[in-house]
Amino acid sequence: MEKSEIKARVEKVIAIVLKVDPSEITPTANFAFDLGADSMQSLELIAAFEEEFDIEMDEQKAREVQTVEAAVDFIAGYLK
Amino acid sequence: MTELPSSPPKDLEHVFYPKSIAVLGTNRVVGTVPHDIFVNILRDNFQGIVYPVSPKERFVSGVRAYKYIIDIPDPVDLAILVFPSTVCNLALEQCGQKGVKSAVIISAGFREIGGIGLQREAEIKAIAQKHNISFIGPNCLGVINTDPLSHLNASFARKMPQEGDIAFLSQSGALCTAVLDYARAKHIGFSKFVSFGNKANISEIDLMYYLKDDPKTKVILLYLEEISDGDALMKAAHDITTESGKPILVLKSGRTSEGAAAAASHTGSLAGSDEVCDAALRQAGMIRCTTIEEMFNNAIALSYQPLPRGKRVAIVTNAGGPGVLATDATVKQHLTMAKFSEETLSIYRKTLPATANIKNPVDVIGDARADRYKVALGGALQDPGVDGVFVILTPQSMTDIENIAEEVCDTISKYDKPVYASFMGETDVAVGINILQRRNIPHYILPESMARAFASALFFKQYRDQTPEHIAQFTDVDDATVRRLLDDARIAGRTYLPETESTKILASYGIPVLPSGLAMSKQEAIALAARIGYPVVMKVVSDEIVHKFDVKGVMLGIRSDNEAGEAYDAIHRNVKAAKPDAAIKGILVEKMVEHGEEVILGVKRDSSFGPVIMFGLGGIFVEVFKDVSFRVAPVGPRSASEMIKEIRAYSMLAGARGKKARDIRSVEEFIQRLSVLALTHPEIKELDINPLIVNDEGSGCFIADARIML
Repeated sequence: MEKSEIKARVEKVIAIVLKVDPSEITPTANFAFDLGADSMQSLELIAAFEEEFDIEMDEQKAREVQTVEAAVDFIAGYLK
Repeated sequence: MTELPSSPPKDLEHVFYPKSIAVLGTNRVVGTVPHDIFVNILRDNFQGIVYPVSPKERFVSGVRAYKYIIDIPDPVDLAILVFPSTVCNLALEQCGQKGVKSAVIISAGFREIGGIGLQREAEIKAIAQKHNISFIGPNCLGVINTDPLSHLNASFARKMPQEGDIAFLSQSGALCTAVLDYARAKHIGFSKFVSFGNKANISEIDLMYYLKDDPKTKVILLYLEEISDGDALMKAAHDITTESGKPILVLKSGRTSEGAAAAASHTGSLAGSDEVCDAALRQAGMIRCTTIEEMFNNAIALSYQPLPRGKRVAIVTNAGGPGVLATDATVKQHLTMAKFSEETLSIYRKTLPATANIKNPVDVIGDARADRYKVALGGALQDPGVDGVFVILTPQSMTDIENIAEEVCDTISKYDKPVYASFMGETDVAVGINILQRRNIPHYILPESMARAFASALFFKQYRDQTPEHIAQFTDVDDATVRRLLDDARIAGRTYLPETESTKILASYGIPVLPSGLAMSKQEAIALAARIGYPVVMKVVSDEIVHKFDVKGVMLGIRSDNEAGEAYDAIHRNVKAAKPDAAIKGILVEKMVEHGEEVILGVKRDSSFGPVIMFGLGGIFVEVFKDVSFRVAPVGPRSASEMIKEIRAYSMLAGARGKKARDIRSVEEFIQRLSVLALTHPEIKELDINPLIVNDEGSGCFIADARIML
């Protein structure tokens, strides 16, 4: 899958789960600090990414992912 | 106490009296910490401006929210961080950019979880240092200031406590909410209430110094789970107690004596961390409490009432049994029952019924109403031989509890002496207790608690008023010899110095050793014994044997050449049987003192408080009787004297049952010399002088055995 497609789908999931305006979802945006994700929403995001990309992520490592661009790279690693 | 390097001053004024606050990471989800903290500040009428900072909320509780703190157009004095721990670094960095100088980091997930949490905590500490931000936390409940000038509840406690003059500082957030609930039920108010969590920046020491000068605070309560810098805590407590006259009460959890079992010396074994902590807190004037209840029992006595001038207590009661119980409790706390003056007795004879007991305790009889309490209490308070009064009441059918409570409050307001009350019972007396609590009369369910609180207040008064202790300097010590002996042992990789070397070190510090010599053969032993003069003691000398008695390596009471030869052989035989691998360096032949009291002197280096000096009843059963006292070095003459008087066996030294008094002055001096030795040579981890033989008054002391562990 192309990185640009992963990015678009990641941003779509973030907008839905965190209920934020897509314009605020920049590559360097931090889920908690910039987009307001609390701990429950962080777990919801992980589940939503897994469903969106039909992958199973290492939850411990996934929790350490903090920004949008890091999430794109992390997910891309599972789609190789 | 040693001088400590000064750390940068912390900005606590903006923590307690901010003009504007930003709550970073708040939200609109009722019942969550990020939401409730913001709402608590609003609802409890904070006297300043509060800004919600939330990445995605436009408003919180009707107040316009900012996405970032740097978006707030006005200055911010205090930042409250409720973000997840993963992004507190980003939030604190923005606080720095905004010019915020004080913060409270509520978030958990730092040092307390280990691993990645340690890194997070190190990161926020570095950011705070870069921007010169003082912060409380992380991992805490928050901060409360009841002063109407601020009226700040920056915490997730359910309710703001009422205003009072007691400050509470706690390492545990959860304990704070329980304490607030407990105090509310007893109408106890607070000046400041702080949960300081991991104390990554602002410590309990910083808070204590702030409270020292806080005009709203009269009593400081401290709950600690760990003491990271015992020396700093002792210095702070001493400064606060003596300079501002504010008592400090400490509830320190973890009373187990971990580590003591592994110690090689008697002192190491007896000086467990909790025993040392107990002694150190007391030495610095702090009142250690064992329960929350005891802490508040003492706190209300210190906060509500004048301090007792002495230990003479009068008891006023309407029931004989409780009066006797209160008398027992009073005496048990080393207080005394006051003896009334003739004038007081005359007042009582004229005004109380003939059936009343007018001696102490004053029993105003079961049918007493408020007028009789007024007379009895007033009489006791005006008596110059009374330092404080305990008022006891049991509810009988004719007892007008409400009026008596009011009368007690009215009467004591005319005198400058402490009065504590115990209205015994629960339901019937509740109305009276309520009046007493509302009018700041300390009330106790049990007379024991009342007497303990009085004793604590008296301890504080005496500590506060004592003159500073001068620490003696000794110019006759030979540090070069000590240094050489310690270096030799270190270079040889030895951690244990046997008696021959230990006594040389102690002799270099002016602590006399009995005449002795080392024998390498039976003939030498006999010749040495004859030269020293019988009776003598003979002991094995070996680096591998710490407890010589355990291997039958000591022979006492040797009175002839023949016995000396037999003892020499016997020791070799016994040691070979008990510890075949031990290398015997020789047999020490030492003068035996038959008429002296055996005491123990010791040193142990405590991880929190540094070198600790121990004194106690000596001999081989020292760990059985545990009759010992401790002080943190340096120990001055007064403390040394107190250490000796504290042990139960003191009367044996002072001359009990017709025996001559022992040379206590020498022991006092040697305690001080040992204290200097321990401070000058920090490589000494443990030291035992056991026994130190204390001769009759004026005849000095001698070391009979000693060991040092490095």
